[in-house]
Amino acid sequence: MFLAPALVIYVAFIVYPVLRTFYNSVHVIKPHNVTEFVGVANFATLFKTDPVFWKAVGNTAIFTVVGTIADVAGGLLLALCLFVRVSFARVWRVVWFTPVLMSYVVVGIIWVWIYDYDWGVVNIVLRWLGLGTSAHSWLGNPTTALWAVLVTHLWKWLGFNMIIFLAALYALPTEVLGAAELDNCGWVAKLVYVIIPMLRPTLVNLLVLSFIGKMMIFDLVWVMTGGGPLWSTETVSTYVYKRAFDWNTFDLGYPSAIAVVWSLIILIFVALMTRFLSQRDKLEF
Amino acid sequence: MAQWLAYLRRTPFLLFIVLYTIATGGPFLWVACMSLRTTPEIFANPYDLPTHLHWDKFADAWTTSNYGTYFWNSTIVVVTAVALVTVIGAMAAHCLARYRFRGRRVLRFLILSGMVVPPQLLILSLFQIMLDYRLYNSLTGLMIVYVATQLAMTVYILEGFFAQIPQDLFDAARMDGYSDFEIFWRITLPIGLAAIFTAVTLNFIILWNEFLYAVVLLTDDSKRTLPLGIMHFMGGHQLDVGMIATGLMIAILPVILLYAFFSETMIRGMTAGAVR
Repeated sequence: MFLAPALVIYVAFIVYPVLRTFYNSVHVIKPHNVTEFVGVANFATLFKTDPVFWKAVGNTAIFTVVGTIADVAGGLLLALCLFVRVSFARVWRVVWFTPVLMSYVVVGIIWVWIYDYDWGVVNIVLRWLGLGTSAHSWLGNPTTALWAVLVTHLWKWLGFNMIIFLAALYALPTEVLGAAELDNCGWVAKLVYVIIPMLRPTLVNLLVLSFIGKMMIFDLVWVMTGGGPLWSTETVSTYVYKRAFDWNTFDLGYPSAIAVVWSLIILIFVALMTRFLSQRDKLEF
Repeated sequence: MAQWLAYLRRTPFLLFIVLYTIATGGPFLWVACMSLRTTPEIFANPYDLPTHLHWDKFADAWTTSNYGTYFWNSTIVVVTAVALVTVIGAMAAHCLARYRFRGRRVLRFLILSGMVVPPQLLILSLFQIMLDYRLYNSLTGLMIVYVATQLAMTVYILEGFFAQIPQDLFDAARMDGYSDFEIFWRITLPIGLAAIFTAVTLNFIILWNEFLYAVVLLTDDSKRTLPLGIMHFMGGHQLDVGMIATGLMIAILPVILLYAFFSETMIRGMTAGAVR
């Protein structure tokens, strides 16, 4: 009885749409209720003759691998900065967390300005340092656009990882850290041999979260570059959106097939990551 | 001497902290300054403090650039969706945490698995479904989608907390003749208030900033939420930097104001899904 409203909404707007997407993926669906069964044709096209899809997969893969590692490592670094009793730690923490609360639209627009060729702060600083030759349009250049978006994404999420690591650090048993100190262990050794192994569950959690978020990145790319220039920032999500609503094919079947394939890949990787990383966890303790 | 050396050794570290603080806080101060300056002033020098405080830009944005409409659309959709998802989610969480019944584990798994459903898997068919139900391009439709997508996480956060409430309290209440609904209303909700507050904060921020579902499910200018409104304005007035900045401020001010007073609660809220 208490569960009923939740179940109704859940079945109607989560379960049913998911099933319908699977159904869509083996059909061609055009406006005016034209639905035609095509079997695995969508998947065949996807794997064999769609260079843009593979370009998008490549971009998303780079974005995810580099981004996830940088995100988690950077968050840990920031958390350690605040953990070593620096003054005003509370103030820094609150400021560093602000980007997490902002929408991708706000963050994206601000960073489009920051990267602006003429008056963006990045190029102004470069020119001021006498490196005017390396100033360029960061988002307009296919070789730098993806990295520029990645930096923005890191900027937005580092604070989140930092807070989680900080909470985990404060929960560590102080005796162990004290013992390491007594053994006159250097801070690098302390970090590698004591802190990181003890933080493993948090680490795995954050890796998985960050991974999922980056595999599905849409908003930020859409706001900052729209996938351009020359597909250089096209991600799987933006491509799905474009194929469904921007291209004049007006077919919902093909993008559904992409979504299905991509979601399965995400789920498989998440399962592998949790299993692989937590198994090592068990062996070590 | 040793003190002095210690300070010197810490200098790069402190420098890093200051630089990162400027990098995270700076852009917002910059936008705040630009939101009070006119576009010609900004193009003369983008990094200047406002000399004349053009508060009228906010009035202008609110009326002539339609930000008022966007703001109210966002407010209506988000407040209703958060209220609904909290009530429905709390009821479901209470049920899963408190009652033992057949199929409980299956239902729990089913609902919580909603947290890992990628939005792309939903968005295309939700578009069709909304067209079928005539909820496409309506704030009600968007609101329902928001409730559905945030439900799993809300249940996850609340259930964990509700399960920790001692069973004795419920047994005592039942002895006093409380009905099932009274138990939920007068015991679970008041005791779980802190967790509910956390869930509300998290859902509010996520939905206030939501873009993907809104961009797919809304088309009318009069129905746009704030993130869509800003994108739309940006598309039409690429060079009117001053006015865009004012719009950005309208979108972030509610969040910043809340953050100024409840920073700890909001940090706890945003991170509630990750650790428990």
